[in-house]
Amino acid sequence: MTLLKTDGLVKKFGGLVATDDVNLSVEENERVSIIGPNGAGKSTLVNLITRRLDPTEGDIQFKGESIVGRDPHEVVQMGISKSFQTASIFSELTVRENAEIAALAAENGSFGFKFLQHRESLTGVHDRATDTLDAVGLLGQADRTAADLPYGDKRRLEIGIALAAEPDLLLMDEPTAGMSPEETESTVDLIEEVKRELGLTFVLIEHDMEIVFRISDRIVVLNRGQIIAEGTPDEIRGDDEVQEAYLGGVDL
Amino acid sequence: MSDEPATAAETGEETPADVPGVFTLYGNELKTLIATAIVLALFPFVFARMPVVSDVLQGYQSLTTLILIWGIFALGFDLLLGYTGLLSFGHAAFWGSAAYGAGVFSQHVTGSPVLMVVAGTLVAVLLAWVLGFLSLRRGGIYFAILTLAFAQMLFYMASSPLAFITDGENGFTGVETAELFGMIPLEEDLPSILGELLGTTLYAFVAVLTLLCIALAYRILQSPYGMVFRAIRENEQRAKFVGLNVWRYKLMSFVLSGLFAGIAGSLFTIHGSYVPLSSLYWTESGEVVIMTVLGGTGSLFGPIIGAGLYLYVENIVSGFDTVGPFWHLILGLVFVITIWTFPRGIWGFFQDVRDYITGGDDQ
Repeated sequence: MTLLKTDGLVKKFGGLVATDDVNLSVEENERVSIIGPNGAGKSTLVNLITRRLDPTEGDIQFKGESIVGRDPHEVVQMGISKSFQTASIFSELTVRENAEIAALAAENGSFGFKFLQHRESLTGVHDRATDTLDAVGLLGQADRTAADLPYGDKRRLEIGIALAAEPDLLLMDEPTAGMSPEETESTVDLIEEVKRELGLTFVLIEHDMEIVFRISDRIVVLNRGQIIAEGTPDEIRGDDEVQEAYLGGVDL
Repeated sequence: MSDEPATAAETGEETPADVPGVFTLYGNELKTLIATAIVLALFPFVFARMPVVSDVLQGYQSLTTLILIWGIFALGFDLLLGYTGLLSFGHAAFWGSAAYGAGVFSQHVTGSPVLMVVAGTLVAVLLAWVLGFLSLRRGGIYFAILTLAFAQMLFYMASSPLAFITDGENGFTGVETAELFGMIPLEEDLPSILGELLGTTLYAFVAVLTLLCIALAYRILQSPYGMVFRAIRENEQRAKFVGLNVWRYKLMSFVLSGLFAGIAGSLFTIHGSYVPLSSLYWTESGEVVIMTVLGGTGSLFGPIIGAGLYLYVENIVSGFDTVGPFWHLILGLVFVITIWTFPRGIWGFFQDVRDYITGGDDQ
């Protein structure tokens, strides 16, 4: 079943065409990576799907329904979650509260009138936050202020916030950017664990080729806003055009 | 901590009509409310009647009531400014409209103090909903300017087009407050020990409402709303991208702060038996901002302390023969020095002192 489908997606910033007639489809339980040189339009594509940007032309369908014209929070409630390129967390809140915010949105919807109800009585939210923190290995630090975490842990928390929503589709925008080799390694382990245990469909944007080849079922190569190649890691590795345009002829 | 959810579940079963978690007190709530009640009970005695202390402070009874009223206003304002991170510069609109609402209600319907508060608060809440709906379309400085503009429009409306209701520049003089519950005059002193401690019935009435407001605000902060408000303040974009309807939560924050402003504005009418036109003027909005920041944004009790200090300088220091004429300057200096030395306000300073003594126990 096709989970996500973009149809002739165009985004122009003034004279610059950031994405040019992109037709992408993601099947359920598929792990797709989007690669491409800087400025290829990868982040723009993700921002279009999460409704941070309005497309100039084209349509985006999720579970067969058009999401163009919906608000970002509605798209999240439908089941698309995003982890940001930078650690976009709630710094002054505790690690647990960070997870609870996401769990609240997942359990109780985008809005509710529970301003007289004590948080302790919302056991569903509490349990889901605990499970999420356990999954990303931050349960031991639940009571710390998020700002005090080391960078790698902030990024894990960021992924945790996205996972707490139990999305059908997870978009990850360079989850290992700026991480040390050890942190990268543990984040890749985390992604593989999520892939194995939750059977999640995800779209990964990544610069690190090693990671991309390791965890993707399919790779989409973008250049100047257009898809120039698409295929399994092996096919992409052997594709001359990709070698030329993006990998610069380096042997992989 | 671990036995509390169980207690909640039990109580929830005993009162099946209630949503579990609404009427049960959790964690520190009971302790905080008892401590607050004790402070509220002792405050007028210490400030206005206690030997030596009250002579030094030169406090008097009716100022204690006024401090609590502004305290409620600032407390609600902090929900918006300190917790949600939205600076409104037009909260005089809710304070003033509630004051007029309660006054006009007393003249035309009934002077029951309780019903006056209900009527005034209702006016403020409805107005907050409408103005919030219009102002929250923009963020940051634009939001502040929009709220200011709407409040000034209201000031103009009250000053002439609606003068047949509000009496325009003279202020509304037709307030007819009746006895509390139809039998207790508000201005009379309470009997025996209660009179010595609390002074007037009016103070007792305002103090009970203050306690209720603190309980309500405390619960809001411990509810999902408290967490969502802080999340919006910290990272609004991320709050949207976890699937929260940030706009509606902001509107609720605005309306809830309007609710507190409404209760306070209504009490202001009962306290003064008069509604000055200036209660809608932009300086009132400025005063509540200063009180809140002075006391400490993002805290429950800070704004009330800020209100107390502000009114103390305005009403008592201004009467000193020596420095009295310069009270505006003194207030400015107090504000500047507080913010320089303790950016988190007076309450933030208290917290730092406590952390220093106890070695950083968290609250």
